[in-house]
Amino acid sequence: MQLGRWLYLGLIPAILLLAGFFYALFTLVASAFVTDGVVGFARFASFFLRADYVDVLVRTLWIAGLTTAIAVVIGYPVAYLIARTRTGRTWLLMLVIAPWLTSVVVRTYGWMVILGNRGLINGFLQWAGLAGRPVPLMYNSFGIIVGLVHVLCPFMIIAIFSTLQQLDPALEEAAMSLRARPWRIFRKVLLPLTLPGVISGAIIVFLMATGAIVTPLLLGGLRDRMLGTQIFQEMFELFDFPKAATMAIILTVSAICVVLPLQWLERRVGRHLRTVEE
Amino acid sequence: MRWRLPIAAILLFLPAPIAIVALSSVTSRGYLTFPPSSFSLRWYTEFLSSAEWLRALAISVLLAFSAACGSVLIAFLASQVIARKRFAGRSLLETLMLMPIIFPHAALGVAMLGIVSSLHWNGTFVGLVLAHVVLTVPYAYRPLIASIRALDPVMEEAAMSLGARPGTILKRVTLPLLRPGLITALVFAFVISFDEVTVTMFLVGPDMSTIPVRIFAQIQESASPVIAAISTVLIGFTVLIVALTQWLLGLEAFLDIGAGRSSRPAA
Repeated sequence: MQLGRWLYLGLIPAILLLAGFFYALFTLVASAFVTDGVVGFARFASFFLRADYVDVLVRTLWIAGLTTAIAVVIGYPVAYLIARTRTGRTWLLMLVIAPWLTSVVVRTYGWMVILGNRGLINGFLQWAGLAGRPVPLMYNSFGIIVGLVHVLCPFMIIAIFSTLQQLDPALEEAAMSLRARPWRIFRKVLLPLTLPGVISGAIIVFLMATGAIVTPLLLGGLRDRMLGTQIFQEMFELFDFPKAATMAIILTVSAICVVLPLQWLERRVGRHLRTVEE
Repeated sequence: MRWRLPIAAILLFLPAPIAIVALSSVTSRGYLTFPPSSFSLRWYTEFLSSAEWLRALAISVLLAFSAACGSVLIAFLASQVIARKRFAGRSLLETLMLMPIIFPHAALGVAMLGIVSSLHWNGTFVGLVLAHVVLTVPYAYRPLIASIRALDPVMEEAAMSLGARPGTILKRVTLPLLRPGLITALVFAFVISFDEVTVTMFLVGPDMSTIPVRIFAQIQESASPVIAAISTVLIGFTVLIVALTQWLLGLEAFLDIGAGRSSRPAA
């Protein structure tokens, strides 16, 4: 359509929204760096000087990392199964998409019903006489990881599925007809070609896991805290906005430090695949 | 084939917790057990007779609707310009539009609370809508820009050469062609906003809370099975939306957004 320059007016709402978003980020940074009118790293220094905070940061990163790794291991075969199923694929996809779009609170609540002291698993163990007293399955890191893997796995499955879908099954059939073993086909054919999907899934899962509050709080309790839980507590029990802002920045920066190399890798692999295709 | 079975078992693990919530919601006991010992709908009655829960549900629906309309409008206008014009900073603008996705939600919540409370909007509906528009714009933008890029310019040129006015072209040619993208954007923005809890709980007030945030608060206070009943209602909503989208557009609509890769402008 030839609307000429008038079309540019369409950018105004988006730019106003972005301006608001960046103003919010600016406020966050300002309140973290300014202490009594002096600009400095005082709040960051006091964060890193407290061993319990550093523990929380380290736990956040390893839980997010482990969640991502488990999500790849679980998500890949599921994505493959769906991509290579002809009849009934819609129903299989439904099993991934419906939970994915269900609220995080509801899904985490489901895990509380399963993992709790009076929950499904402990109920079964006691009924079967396998455990005298309840096995602690939640209010610890184990519970957090189970919950996060479940909540974030669909992102991974969908990311991998969309790259697998573009892949011609003839490639695997060719490898199979050359008598390559399944594991070798996976390592030499499937994985290299679907690596961009795996990486972009990993980026999303990692980011979502580091920034989670609901699942870590409900399944981890206040003992095995993650940075999200800590931010929530500083904000709503201690009403310390600058401290919460400082932690929010530390959280964002450390997540970006992990994600940037992954993004670089994704772009490199993508470019490599394109040159191979040509 | 042999390898399919264990994988199918993993696949069933995804809806399992949700099914367990739904099944245990029909208990008659005062606490949650699975499997429920006896059937009763008393917790549904309790939900439907609670003014507070119904108010939270109404707020959630209204909020998701407002946020979806707002973000689709903003994303629609912006994607029209970005797809049709070449200007300095175009790809930067596109990156920035998608940026809220890559921020950890806990950090986003603190940032939103900062700006919303500096406007004295915390605990108000306006504050919630504003935050939800920021959160849903990337999800609305992706399907819209993809469908505009897929649009064949010949269609509009043909209408123009036949003397149609820009308004007529928009109404008769462009919008009908973009309908799948628009529906996907609306559905997605609605669902994301309706389910959002992490950022929202920073912004709610005593009389202005959404249903997921209320569920979250309630879980921490008590183990009443009413939570399971409400959760089941939300699960029903989600399944309905997924089924409706599948019927209207096919499930592929969800996959393009879920894949997570930002659509880069064609150089």
